[in-house]
Amino acid sequence: MAGIGAGVLAILFPYILPKFQLRMVTEIIIMALFAMTWKMLLNEGGLFSFGHALYFGLGAYASVLGWLHIKGLSFMSGIFLGGLVAGLVGLILGAFLVRMSGTYFALLTLAFNQLIWAIVWKWRDVTGGDDGLGKFPKPDLLGISMKNPANFYYVSLIIVGICLFICWYFTRTPLGNVCVSIKSNEERAKFIGFNVNASKLILLTLTGFFSGISGALYAQFQEFIATSTIDLGMSTNVLFMAFIGGIGYFWGPLIGSGIFVYLSEYLSSFTDRWEFIFGLIFIVIVLFAPQGILGIVKRKK
Amino acid sequence: METFVIQFLHGLVYGMLLFLVSSGLTLVFGMMSVLNIAHASFYMLGAYFSYQMLKMVGNFWAGLIVCPILVGFLGILMERFLLRRVHAGGHVQEFVITFGILFVINESVKWIWGTEPLPVPIPPALSGSVMIVGSIYPAYRLFILFFSLCVLALMAYVLLKTRLGITVRAAVSDRDMVSALGTNTPFVFMLVMGIGTWLAGLAGVIAGPFISTYPGMALEILVDCFVVTVTGGLGSLLGAVVASFLIGQLSSFGILFIPRFAIVFAFLLMAIVLIIKPSGLFGEKA
Repeated sequence: MAGIGAGVLAILFPYILPKFQLRMVTEIIIMALFAMTWKMLLNEGGLFSFGHALYFGLGAYASVLGWLHIKGLSFMSGIFLGGLVAGLVGLILGAFLVRMSGTYFALLTLAFNQLIWAIVWKWRDVTGGDDGLGKFPKPDLLGISMKNPANFYYVSLIIVGICLFICWYFTRTPLGNVCVSIKSNEERAKFIGFNVNASKLILLTLTGFFSGISGALYAQFQEFIATSTIDLGMSTNVLFMAFIGGIGYFWGPLIGSGIFVYLSEYLSSFTDRWEFIFGLIFIVIVLFAPQGILGIVKRKK
Repeated sequence: METFVIQFLHGLVYGMLLFLVSSGLTLVFGMMSVLNIAHASFYMLGAYFSYQMLKMVGNFWAGLIVCPILVGFLGILMERFLLRRVHAGGHVQEFVITFGILFVINESVKWIWGTEPLPVPIPPALSGSVMIVGSIYPAYRLFILFFSLCVLALMAYVLLKTRLGITVRAAVSDRDMVSALGTNTPFVFMLVMGIGTWLAGLAGVIAGPFISTYPGMALEILVDCFVVTVTGGLGSLLGAVVASFLIGQLSSFGILFIPRFAIVFAFLLMAIVLIIKPSGLFGEKA
Protein backbone atom coordinates (compact mmCIF):
# COMPACT_ATOMS: atom_id res chain seq x y z
CA MET A 1 0.00 0.00 0.00
CA ALA A 2 2.66 2.44 1.08
CA GLY A 3 4.61 1.58 -2.04
CA ILE A 4 1.69 2.31 -4.36
CA GLY A 5 0.95 5.54 -2.50
CA ALA A 6 4.56 6.66 -2.82
CA GLY A 7 4.51 5.72 -6.51
CA VAL A 8 1.37 7.75 -7.21
CA LEU A 9 2.80 10.64 -5.23
CA ALA A 10 6.08 10.47 -7.18
CA ILE A 11 4.14 10.71 -10.47
CA LEU A 12 2.08 13.63 -9.20
CA PHE A 13 5.00 15.61 -7.76
CA PRO A 14 5.47 17.97 -10.74
CA TYR A 15 1.79 18.97 -10.46
CA ILE A 16 1.60 19.52 -6.73
CA LEU A 17 5.05 20.81 -5.82
CA PRO A 18 6.38 24.29 -6.52
CA LYS A 19 9.32 24.47 -8.92
CA PHE A 20 11.87 24.92 -6.18
CA GLN A 21 10.66 21.83 -4.34
CA LEU A 22 10.60 19.81 -7.52
CA ARG A 23 14.27 20.62 -8.04
CA MET A 24 15.04 19.29 -4.60
CA VAL A 25 13.07 16.11 -5.16
CA THR A 26 14.97 15.57 -8.42
CA GLU A 27 18.26 16.02 -6.58
CA ILE A 28 17.13 13.60 -3.87
CA ILE A 29 16.34 10.93 -6.46
CA ILE A 30 19.68 11.32 -8.20
CA MET A 31 21.64 11.30 -4.96
CA ALA A 32 19.63 8.29 -3.75
CA LEU A 33 21.10 6.21 -6.56
CA PHE A 34 24.59 7.33 -5.58
CA ALA A 35 23.96 6.56 -1.91
CA MET A 36 22.49 3.21 -2.91
CA THR A 37 25.70 2.16 -4.62
CA TRP A 38 27.71 3.12 -1.54
CA LYS A 39 25.36 1.20 0.69
CA MET A 40 25.52 -1.81 -1.60
CA LEU A 41 29.29 -1.95 -1.29
CA LEU A 42 29.09 -1.87 2.50
CA ASN A 43 26.02 -3.99 2.95
CA GLU A 44 26.49 -6.63 0.26
CA GLY A 45 30.25 -6.75 0.16
CA GLY A 46 31.33 -5.40 3.54
CA LEU A 47 33.46 -2.86 1.71
CA PHE A 48 33.66 0.62 3.20
CA SER A 49 34.41 3.07 0.43
CA PHE A 50 36.00 6.31 1.50
CA GLY A 51 36.41 7.59 -2.02
CA HIS A 52 33.10 6.93 -3.68
CA ALA A 53 32.90 10.41 -5.22
CA LEU A 54 35.55 9.14 -7.61
CA TYR A 55 32.98 7.18 -9.64
CA PHE A 56 30.29 9.81 -9.27
CA GLY A 57 32.64 12.57 -10.41
CA LEU A 58 34.11 10.49 -13.24
CA GLY A 59 30.61 9.78 -14.50
CA ALA A 60 29.80 13.47 -14.39
CA TYR A 61 33.01 14.56 -16.12
CA ALA A 62 32.95 11.79 -18.72
CA SER A 63 29.37 12.52 -19.78
CA VAL A 64 29.90 16.28 -19.85
CA LEU A 65 33.08 15.93 -21.89
CA GLY A 66 31.14 13.65 -24.19
CA TRP A 67 28.34 16.17 -24.68
CA LEU A 68 30.89 18.92 -25.21
CA HIS A 69 33.17 17.20 -27.68
CA ILE A 70 31.20 14.46 -29.41
CA LYS A 71 28.86 16.05 -31.92
CA GLY A 72 25.27 14.93 -31.68
CA LEU A 73 25.74 12.72 -28.61
CA SER A 74 22.23 11.97 -27.41
CA PHE A 75 20.97 12.39 -23.86
CA MET A 76 20.89 8.71 -23.03
CA SER A 77 24.21 7.93 -24.72
CA GLY A 78 25.84 10.67 -22.63
CA ILE A 79 24.41 9.28 -19.41
CA PHE A 80 25.45 5.80 -20.46
CA LEU A 81 28.94 7.03 -21.34
CA GLY A 82 29.28 8.41 -17.81
CA GLY A 83 28.28 5.08 -16.33
CA LEU A 84 30.53 3.16 -18.68
CA VAL A 85 33.65 5.19 -17.91
CA ALA A 86 33.00 5.02 -14.16
CA GLY A 87 32.32 1.28 -14.41
CA LEU A 88 35.49 0.73 -16.40
CA VAL A 89 37.54 2.66 -13.85
CA GLY A 90 35.75 0.66 -11.15
CA LEU A 91 36.93 -2.50 -12.88
CA ILE A 92 40.53 -1.34 -13.28
CA LEU A 93 40.92 0.06 -9.77
CA GLY A 94 38.89 -2.88 -8.49
CA ALA A 95 41.68 -5.19 -9.60
CA PHE A 96 43.83 -3.55 -6.91
CA LEU A 97 41.04 -3.04 -4.41
CA VAL A 98 39.79 -6.63 -4.21
CA ARG A 99 42.79 -7.73 -2.19
CA MET A 100 42.00 -5.24 0.55
CA SER A 101 39.45 -5.28 3.28
CA GLY A 102 38.42 -3.12 6.22
CA THR A 103 40.35 0.05 6.90
CA TYR A 104 42.91 -0.69 4.21
CA PHE A 105 40.21 -0.92 1.59
CA ALA A 106 38.77 2.40 2.76
CA LEU A 107 42.16 4.08 2.63
CA LEU A 108 43.08 2.77 -0.80
CA THR A 109 39.77 4.08 -2.16
CA LEU A 110 40.66 7.40 -0.52
CA ALA A 111 44.07 7.36 -2.20
CA PHE A 112 42.53 6.70 -5.62
CA ASN A 113 39.90 9.34 -5.04
CA GLN A 114 42.48 11.94 -4.09
CA LEU A 115 44.71 10.96 -6.99
CA ILE A 116 41.99 11.42 -9.60
CA TRP A 117 40.65 14.52 -7.85
CA ALA A 118 44.09 16.12 -7.98
CA ILE A 119 44.39 15.31 -11.67
CA VAL A 120 40.93 16.69 -12.44
CA TRP A 121 41.71 19.80 -10.42
CA LYS A 122 45.06 20.47 -12.07
CA TRP A 123 44.31 19.40 -15.64
CA ARG A 124 42.66 22.70 -16.46
CA ASP A 125 42.79 22.38 -20.27
CA VAL A 126 40.36 19.49 -20.23
CA THR A 127 38.42 19.75 -17.00
CA GLY A 128 38.38 23.49 -16.44
CA GLY A 129 40.01 23.01 -13.03
CA ASP A 130 38.47 25.19 -10.33
CA ASP A 131 36.24 26.97 -12.83
CA GLY A 132 34.47 23.75 -13.68
CA LEU A 133 32.59 23.01 -16.88
CA GLY A 134 29.34 24.62 -17.86
CA LYS A 135 27.41 25.50 -21.02
CA PHE A 136 27.27 21.95 -22.31
CA PRO A 137 24.37 20.83 -24.48
CA LYS A 138 21.26 19.35 -22.92
CA PRO A 139 19.93 17.21 -25.76
CA ASP A 140 16.27 16.31 -26.10
CA LEU A 141 15.24 12.77 -25.33
CA LEU A 142 12.96 11.29 -28.02
CA GLY A 143 11.87 14.78 -28.90
CA ILE A 144 11.03 15.67 -25.30
CA SER A 145 12.84 18.72 -24.01
CA MET A 146 15.00 18.01 -21.00
CA LYS A 147 15.10 21.70 -20.21
CA ASN A 148 11.64 21.39 -18.72
CA PRO A 149 12.14 20.53 -14.99
CA ALA A 150 9.10 18.25 -14.90
CA ASN A 151 10.31 16.23 -17.91
CA PHE A 152 13.78 16.00 -16.44
CA TYR A 153 12.28 14.85 -13.16
CA TYR A 154 10.36 12.03 -14.86
CA VAL A 155 13.37 10.89 -16.85
CA SER A 156 15.55 10.89 -13.71
CA LEU A 157 12.85 8.99 -11.86
CA ILE A 158 12.68 6.33 -14.59
CA ILE A 159 16.44 5.96 -14.97
CA VAL A 160 17.04 5.81 -11.22
CA GLY A 161 14.07 3.48 -10.83
CA ILE A 162 15.51 1.03 -13.36
CA CYS A 163 18.95 1.21 -11.74
CA LEU A 164 17.48 0.66 -8.27
CA PHE A 165 15.52 -2.30 -9.58
CA ILE A 166 18.72 -3.83 -10.94
CA CYS A 167 20.41 -3.20 -7.59
CA TRP A 168 17.52 -4.89 -5.82
CA TYR A 169 17.56 -7.77 -8.29
CA PHE A 170 21.30 -8.16 -7.73
CA THR A 171 20.76 -8.85 -4.04
CA ARG A 172 18.50 -11.75 -5.07
CA THR A 173 20.93 -13.38 -7.47
CA PRO A 174 23.31 -16.16 -6.42
CA LEU A 175 26.16 -13.71 -7.03
CA GLY A 176 24.56 -11.24 -4.62
CA ASN A 177 24.36 -13.97 -2.02
CA VAL A 178 28.02 -14.82 -2.51
CA CYS A 179 28.84 -11.17 -1.83
CA VAL A 180 26.88 -11.27 1.41
CA SER A 181 28.66 -14.44 2.43
CA ILE A 182 31.98 -12.69 1.79
CA LYS A 183 30.87 -9.88 4.02
CA SER A 184 30.00 -12.17 6.91
CA ASN A 185 33.07 -14.37 6.61
CA GLU A 186 35.53 -13.96 3.80
CA GLU A 187 37.73 -16.89 4.82
CA ARG A 188 34.81 -19.26 4.88
CA ALA A 189 33.46 -18.06 1.54
CA LYS A 190 36.88 -18.65 0.05
CA PHE A 191 37.05 -22.09 1.62
CA ILE A 192 33.65 -23.18 0.34
CA GLY A 193 35.03 -22.50 -3.11
CA PHE A 194 33.57 -19.16 -4.12
CA ASN A 195 35.77 -16.90 -6.12
CA VAL A 196 35.86 -14.11 -3.58
CA ASN A 197 37.95 -11.68 -5.60
CA ALA A 198 35.89 -12.04 -8.77
CA SER A 199 32.67 -11.43 -6.83
CA LYS A 200 34.11 -8.32 -5.22
CA LEU A 201 35.34 -7.12 -8.59
CA ILE A 202 31.90 -7.50 -10.14
CA LEU A 203 30.36 -5.65 -7.21
CA LEU A 204 32.89 -2.82 -7.55
CA THR A 205 32.32 -2.53 -11.29
CA LEU A 206 28.56 -2.57 -10.89
CA THR A 207 28.52 0.08 -8.17
CA GLY A 208 31.02 2.13 -10.17
CA PHE A 209 28.73 1.98 -13.19
CA PHE A 210 25.63 3.09 -11.27
CA SER A 211 27.54 5.83 -9.45
CA GLY A 212 28.65 7.07 -12.85
CA ILE A 213 25.04 7.11 -14.06
CA SER A 214 23.99 9.17 -11.07
CA GLY A 215 26.97 11.50 -11.59
CA ALA A 216 26.00 12.04 -15.23
CA LEU A 217 22.40 12.75 -14.24
CA TYR A 218 23.65 15.13 -11.58
CA ALA A 219 25.71 16.99 -14.19
CA GLN A 220 22.62 17.50 -16.35
CA PHE A 221 20.65 18.45 -13.26
CA GLN A 222 23.11 21.16 -12.20
CA GLU A 223 23.97 22.09 -15.81
CA PHE A 224 27.42 22.72 -14.40
CA ILE A 225 30.12 20.57 -12.82
CA ALA A 226 33.18 21.41 -10.78
CA THR A 227 35.70 19.53 -8.69
CA SER A 228 33.14 19.44 -5.88
CA THR A 229 31.53 16.47 -7.64
CA ILE A 230 34.67 14.41 -7.18
CA ASP A 231 36.24 15.70 -3.96
CA LEU A 232 36.42 14.28 -0.47
CA GLY A 233 33.37 16.30 0.57
CA MET A 234 31.19 14.39 -1.87
CA SER A 235 32.65 11.11 -0.62
CA THR A 236 31.65 12.12 2.90
CA ASN A 237 28.18 13.29 1.88
CA VAL A 238 27.30 9.93 0.43
CA LEU A 239 28.37 8.25 3.64
CA PHE A 240 26.15 10.61 5.63
CA MET A 241 23.18 9.93 3.39
CA ALA A 242 23.51 6.18 3.57
CA PHE A 243 23.99 6.18 7.34
CA ILE A 244 21.18 8.59 8.16
CA GLY A 245 18.70 6.53 6.20
CA GLY A 246 19.89 3.25 7.62
CA ILE A 247 22.42 1.00 5.93
CA GLY A 248 20.52 -2.16 6.74
CA TYR A 249 17.46 -1.21 4.70
CA PHE A 250 16.92 -1.16 0.97
CA TRP A 251 15.15 2.21 0.98
CA GLY A 252 17.62 3.65 3.51
CA PRO A 253 19.67 5.57 0.91
CA LEU A 254 16.53 7.20 -0.52
CA ILE A 255 15.33 8.32 2.91
CA GLY A 256 18.87 9.39 3.81
CA SER A 257 19.38 11.42 0.67
CA GLY A 258 15.97 13.03 1.21
CA ILE A 259 16.84 14.05 4.75
CA PHE A 260 20.30 15.17 3.72
CA VAL A 261 19.15 17.36 0.82
CA TYR A 262 16.27 18.93 2.75
CA LEU A 263 18.27 19.40 5.94
CA SER A 264 21.22 21.02 4.21
CA GLU A 265 18.87 23.27 2.24
CA TYR A 266 16.84 24.44 5.23
CA LEU A 267 19.64 24.63 7.76
CA SER A 268 21.80 26.63 5.37
CA SER A 269 18.95 29.06 4.78
CA PHE A 270 19.04 30.32 8.35
CA THR A 271 22.61 29.71 9.50
CA ASP A 272 26.04 29.68 7.91
CA ARG A 273 27.13 27.06 10.37
CA TRP A 274 24.64 24.44 9.29
CA GLU A 275 27.36 21.82 9.08
CA PHE A 276 27.81 22.15 12.83
CA ILE A 277 24.18 21.24 13.48
CA PHE A 278 24.45 18.58 10.85
CA GLY A 279 27.49 17.05 12.53
CA LEU A 280 25.67 17.01 15.87
CA ILE A 281 22.63 15.33 14.34
CA PHE A 282 24.87 12.78 12.72
CA ILE A 283 26.66 11.97 15.99
CA VAL A 284 23.33 11.53 17.75
CA ILE A 285 22.11 9.20 15.01
CA VAL A 286 25.22 7.05 15.12
CA LEU A 287 25.09 6.96 18.93
CA PHE A 288 21.44 6.20 19.46
CA ALA A 289 20.15 4.89 16.15
CA PRO A 290 23.00 3.04 14.43
CA GLN A 291 20.47 1.59 12.00
CA GLY A 292 19.41 5.05 10.88
CA ILE A 293 15.99 6.65 10.62
CA LEU A 294 14.44 3.56 9.11
CA GLY A 295 15.85 1.58 12.01
CA ILE A 296 13.89 3.80 14.43
CA VAL A 297 10.72 3.47 12.38
CA LYS A 298 11.00 -0.32 12.15
CA ARG A 299 11.73 -0.62 15.87
CA LYS A 300 8.57 1.30 16.75
CA LYS A 301 6.43 -1.12 14.77
CA MET B 1 73.43 22.94 -4.02
CA GLU B 2 72.20 25.65 -1.66
CA THR B 3 68.63 25.36 -2.88
CA PHE B 4 68.95 21.64 -2.53
CA VAL B 5 69.99 21.84 1.13
CA ILE B 6 67.35 24.45 1.95
CA GLN B 7 64.65 22.47 0.18
CA PHE B 8 65.77 19.37 2.02
CA LEU B 9 65.47 21.26 5.33
CA HIS B 10 62.00 22.51 4.39
CA GLY B 11 60.97 18.96 3.68
CA LEU B 12 62.48 17.78 6.92
CA VAL B 13 60.62 20.39 8.96
CA TYR B 14 57.29 19.64 7.33
CA GLY B 15 57.99 15.93 7.65
CA MET B 16 58.59 16.25 11.39
CA LEU B 17 55.38 18.20 11.80
CA LEU B 18 53.57 15.50 9.89
CA PHE B 19 55.16 12.93 12.12
CA LEU B 20 53.88 14.65 15.26
CA VAL B 21 50.33 14.60 13.94
CA SER B 22 50.38 11.15 12.37
CA SER B 23 52.16 9.45 15.27
CA GLY B 24 49.07 10.09 17.42
CA LEU B 25 46.82 8.77 14.67
CA THR B 26 48.84 5.63 14.16
CA LEU B 27 49.19 5.02 17.90
CA VAL B 28 45.44 5.17 18.36
CA PHE B 29 44.84 2.96 15.36
CA GLY B 30 47.40 0.43 16.51
CA MET B 31 45.62 0.06 19.82
CA MET B 32 41.97 0.49 19.05
CA SER B 33 41.84 -0.28 15.31
CA VAL B 34 39.90 2.94 14.95
CA LEU B 35 40.90 5.40 12.31
CA ASN B 36 40.13 8.74 13.87
CA ILE B 37 39.11 11.04 11.02
CA ALA B 38 38.77 13.89 13.50
CA HIS B 39 42.42 13.59 14.51
CA ALA B 40 43.59 16.53 12.41
CA SER B 41 40.81 18.63 13.91
CA PHE B 42 42.49 18.23 17.28
CA TYR B 43 45.67 19.49 15.67
CA MET B 44 43.75 22.53 14.49
CA LEU B 45 42.29 23.02 17.95
CA GLY B 46 45.85 23.11 19.32
CA ALA B 47 46.70 25.95 16.95
CA TYR B 48 43.57 27.93 17.81
CA PHE B 49 43.94 27.38 21.56
CA SER B 50 47.49 28.64 21.29
CA TYR B 51 46.28 31.74 19.44
CA GLN B 52 43.79 32.36 22.22
CA MET B 53 46.41 31.85 24.94
CA LEU B 54 48.74 34.21 23.17
CA LYS B 55 46.01 36.81 23.08
CA MET B 56 45.10 36.39 26.74
CA VAL B 57 48.42 35.58 28.42
CA GLY B 58 50.86 36.82 25.83
CA ASN B 59 53.26 33.93 26.26
CA PHE B 60 53.84 31.32 23.57
CA TRP B 61 55.63 28.91 25.90
CA ALA B 62 52.78 28.81 28.40
CA GLY B 63 50.53 27.91 25.50
CA LEU B 64 52.91 25.17 24.39
CA ILE B 65 52.43 23.48 27.74
CA VAL B 66 48.77 24.18 28.48
CA CYS B 67 47.06 23.94 25.08
CA PRO B 68 48.07 20.39 24.14
CA ILE B 69 46.86 19.24 27.56
CA LEU B 70 43.48 20.85 26.94
CA VAL B 71 43.31 19.20 23.53
CA GLY B 72 44.29 15.85 25.01
CA PHE B 73 41.55 16.25 27.60
CA LEU B 74 39.00 16.80 24.83
CA GLY B 75 40.33 13.67 23.17
CA ILE B 76 39.78 11.73 26.39
CA LEU B 77 36.22 13.06 26.60
CA MET B 78 35.61 11.97 23.02
CA GLU B 79 36.86 8.46 23.74
CA ARG B 80 34.96 8.12 27.00
CA PHE B 81 31.59 9.50 25.93
CA LEU B 82 31.40 8.83 22.19
CA LEU B 83 33.76 6.16 20.94
CA ARG B 84 33.32 3.83 23.90
CA ARG B 85 29.56 3.88 23.50
CA VAL B 86 29.69 2.69 19.91
CA HIS B 87 32.60 0.29 20.46
CA ALA B 88 30.26 -2.69 20.60
CA GLY B 89 28.77 -1.69 17.25
CA GLY B 90 32.00 -2.46 15.42
CA HIS B 91 34.67 -0.48 13.66
CA VAL B 92 32.46 0.96 10.95
CA GLN B 93 30.35 2.72 13.53
CA GLU B 94 33.39 4.02 15.40
CA PHE B 95 34.92 5.18 12.15
CA VAL B 96 31.74 6.91 11.07
CA ILE B 97 31.13 8.76 14.32
CA THR B 98 34.52 10.44 14.01
CA PHE B 99 33.20 12.01 10.79
CA GLY B 100 30.51 13.73 12.80
CA ILE B 101 33.08 14.87 15.34
CA LEU B 102 35.24 16.27 12.55
CA PHE B 103 32.29 18.35 11.32
CA VAL B 104 31.44 19.61 14.77
CA ILE B 105 35.00 20.64 15.65
CA ASN B 106 35.75 22.26 12.30
CA GLU B 107 32.52 24.22 12.33
CA SER B 108 32.90 25.27 15.98
CA VAL B 109 36.30 26.68 15.11
CA LYS B 110 34.74 28.75 12.32
CA TRP B 111 31.98 29.80 14.67
CA ILE B 112 34.25 30.93 17.50
CA TRP B 113 37.25 32.33 15.64
CA GLY B 114 35.81 33.16 12.22
CA THR B 115 37.00 31.98 8.84
CA GLU B 116 39.84 34.46 8.33
CA PRO B 117 43.43 33.26 8.87
CA LEU B 118 44.71 34.41 12.26
CA PRO B 119 48.23 35.74 12.73
CA VAL B 120 50.30 33.92 15.33
CA PRO B 121 53.64 35.67 15.71
CA ILE B 122 56.82 33.66 16.09
CA PRO B 123 58.01 33.85 19.72
CA PRO B 124 60.61 36.64 20.04
CA ALA B 125 63.40 34.32 21.17
CA LEU B 126 63.12 32.38 17.89
CA SER B 127 62.29 35.14 15.44
CA GLY B 128 65.86 35.41 14.16
CA SER B 129 67.57 33.53 11.39
CA VAL B 130 70.50 31.19 11.14
CA MET B 131 73.08 30.95 8.38
CA ILE B 132 73.17 27.55 6.74
CA VAL B 133 75.48 26.87 3.77
CA GLY B 134 75.45 30.53 2.90
CA SER B 135 71.71 31.10 3.05
CA ILE B 136 69.51 32.50 5.76
CA TYR B 137 67.22 30.02 7.43
CA PRO B 138 64.47 30.96 9.92
CA ALA B 139 65.39 29.85 13.42
CA TYR B 140 61.81 28.90 14.21
CA ARG B 141 61.84 26.11 11.64
CA LEU B 142 64.96 24.71 13.20
CA PHE B 143 63.16 24.85 16.52
CA ILE B 144 60.31 22.77 15.06
CA LEU B 145 62.88 20.24 13.93
CA PHE B 146 64.63 20.13 17.28
CA PHE B 147 61.43 20.05 19.28
CA SER B 148 59.91 17.25 17.20
CA LEU B 149 63.06 15.20 17.57
CA CYS B 150 62.80 15.63 21.35
CA VAL B 151 59.19 14.44 21.25
CA LEU B 152 60.22 11.48 19.11
CA ALA B 153 62.93 10.59 21.63
CA LEU B 154 60.44 10.94 24.48
CA MET B 155 57.95 8.70 22.70
CA ALA B 156 60.60 6.10 22.01
CA TYR B 157 61.59 6.17 25.67
CA VAL B 158 58.01 5.83 26.92
CA LEU B 159 57.15 3.07 24.50
CA LEU B 160 60.32 1.05 24.97
CA LYS B 161 61.22 1.59 28.60
CA THR B 162 58.17 2.28 30.71
CA ARG B 163 55.43 0.01 31.98
CA LEU B 164 52.79 2.01 30.12
CA GLY B 165 54.76 1.64 26.90
CA ILE B 166 55.04 -2.10 27.34
CA THR B 167 51.30 -2.36 27.95
CA VAL B 168 50.56 -0.27 24.89
CA ARG B 169 52.86 -2.30 22.68
CA ALA B 170 51.41 -5.52 24.00
CA ALA B 171 47.88 -4.26 23.40
CA VAL B 172 48.79 -3.33 19.84
CA SER B 173 49.85 -6.87 19.08
CA ASP B 174 47.12 -8.69 21.03
CA ARG B 175 44.47 -6.64 22.72
CA ASP B 176 42.38 -9.49 24.07
CA MET B 177 45.34 -11.20 25.66
CA VAL B 178 46.40 -8.04 27.46
CA SER B 179 42.86 -7.60 28.68
CA ALA B 180 42.76 -11.21 29.86
CA LEU B 181 46.00 -10.70 31.78
CA GLY B 182 44.24 -8.17 33.95
CA THR B 183 45.03 -4.83 32.37
CA ASN B 184 42.20 -2.34 32.41
CA THR B 185 42.16 -1.95 28.61
CA PRO B 186 39.34 0.63 28.41
CA PHE B 187 41.42 2.85 30.67
CA VAL B 188 44.53 2.33 28.56
CA PHE B 189 42.49 3.11 25.42
CA MET B 190 41.36 6.34 26.98
CA LEU B 191 44.89 7.20 27.97
CA VAL B 192 46.25 6.43 24.51
CA MET B 193 43.54 8.53 22.91
CA GLY B 194 44.52 11.33 25.29
CA ILE B 195 48.19 11.01 24.39
CA GLY B 196 47.39 10.80 20.67
CA THR B 197 45.31 13.96 20.70
CA TRP B 198 47.86 15.61 23.00
CA LEU B 199 50.48 14.99 20.31
CA ALA B 200 48.14 16.44 17.68
CA GLY B 201 47.57 19.50 19.87
CA LEU B 202 51.30 19.87 20.38
CA ALA B 203 51.85 19.81 16.64
CA GLY B 204 49.09 22.37 16.24
CA VAL B 205 50.67 24.78 18.71
CA ILE B 206 54.07 24.71 17.05
CA ALA B 207 52.52 24.77 13.58
CA GLY B 208 50.60 27.98 14.37
CA PRO B 209 53.43 30.44 13.70
CA PHE B 210 54.78 28.26 10.87
CA ILE B 211 51.65 27.63 8.80
CA SER B 212 49.03 30.29 9.43
CA THR B 213 46.10 29.39 11.67
CA TYR B 214 42.97 29.00 9.55
CA PRO B 215 39.92 26.69 9.44
CA GLY B 216 41.18 24.73 6.45
CA MET B 217 44.40 23.65 8.16
CA ALA B 218 42.82 20.48 9.55
CA LEU B 219 41.67 19.04 6.24
CA GLU B 220 44.91 20.07 4.61
CA ILE B 221 47.08 18.06 6.95
CA LEU B 222 44.52 15.25 7.39
CA VAL B 223 45.05 13.88 3.93
CA ASP B 224 48.85 14.04 4.22
CA CYS B 225 48.51 12.34 7.58
CA PHE B 226 46.58 9.48 6.07
CA VAL B 227 49.19 9.14 3.39
CA VAL B 228 51.87 8.94 6.10
CA THR B 229 50.09 6.45 8.34
CA VAL B 230 49.06 4.21 5.47
CA THR B 231 52.39 4.31 3.68
CA GLY B 232 54.27 3.64 6.90
CA GLY B 233 51.84 0.97 7.98
CA LEU B 234 48.86 1.55 10.24
CA GLY B 235 49.91 1.25 13.84
CA SER B 236 53.64 1.34 13.17
CA LEU B 237 55.51 4.21 14.79
CA LEU B 238 58.72 3.47 12.89
CA GLY B 239 56.68 3.49 9.71
CA ALA B 240 55.27 6.89 10.63
CA VAL B 241 58.80 8.28 11.05
CA VAL B 242 60.02 6.95 7.71
CA ALA B 243 56.86 7.86 5.79
CA SER B 244 56.76 11.37 7.28
CA PHE B 245 60.30 11.90 6.11
CA LEU B 246 59.42 10.59 2.63
CA ILE B 247 56.27 12.68 2.27
CA GLY B 248 58.02 15.78 3.61
CA GLN B 249 60.76 15.44 1.01
CA LEU B 250 58.33 14.50 -1.73
CA SER B 251 56.19 17.58 -1.21
CA SER B 252 59.22 19.83 -0.78
CA PHE B 253 61.04 18.72 -3.92
CA GLY B 254 57.82 18.10 -5.82
CA ILE B 255 56.95 21.78 -5.52
CA LEU B 256 60.46 22.71 -6.64
CA PHE B 257 60.45 20.60 -9.79
CA ILE B 258 56.87 19.93 -10.86
CA PRO B 259 54.74 22.51 -9.01
CA ARG B 260 51.58 21.74 -10.91
CA PHE B 261 51.30 18.08 -10.05
CA ALA B 262 53.21 18.10 -6.77
CA ILE B 263 50.18 17.00 -4.76
CA VAL B 264 49.66 13.99 -6.99
CA PHE B 265 52.91 12.35 -5.89
CA ALA B 266 51.92 11.76 -2.30
CA PHE B 267 48.72 9.98 -3.33
CA LEU B 268 50.55 8.07 -6.00
CA LEU B 269 53.10 6.91 -3.45
CA MET B 270 50.31 5.83 -1.10
CA ALA B 271 48.49 3.95 -3.82
CA ILE B 272 51.64 2.21 -5.04
CA VAL B 273 52.72 1.16 -1.55
CA LEU B 274 49.25 -0.17 -0.80
CA ILE B 275 49.13 -2.09 -4.05
CA ILE B 276 52.55 -3.67 -3.58
CA LYS B 277 52.41 -4.15 0.18
CA PRO B 278 48.85 -3.69 1.45
CA SER B 279 49.95 -3.39 5.07
CA GLY B 280 52.27 -0.49 4.36
CA LEU B 281 56.05 -0.30 4.57
CA PHE B 282 56.32 -1.38 8.21
CA GLY B 283 52.85 -2.70 8.96
CA GLU B 284 52.51 -6.27 10.11
CA LYS B 285 48.94 -7.29 9.54
CA ALA B 286 46.76 -6.33 6.62
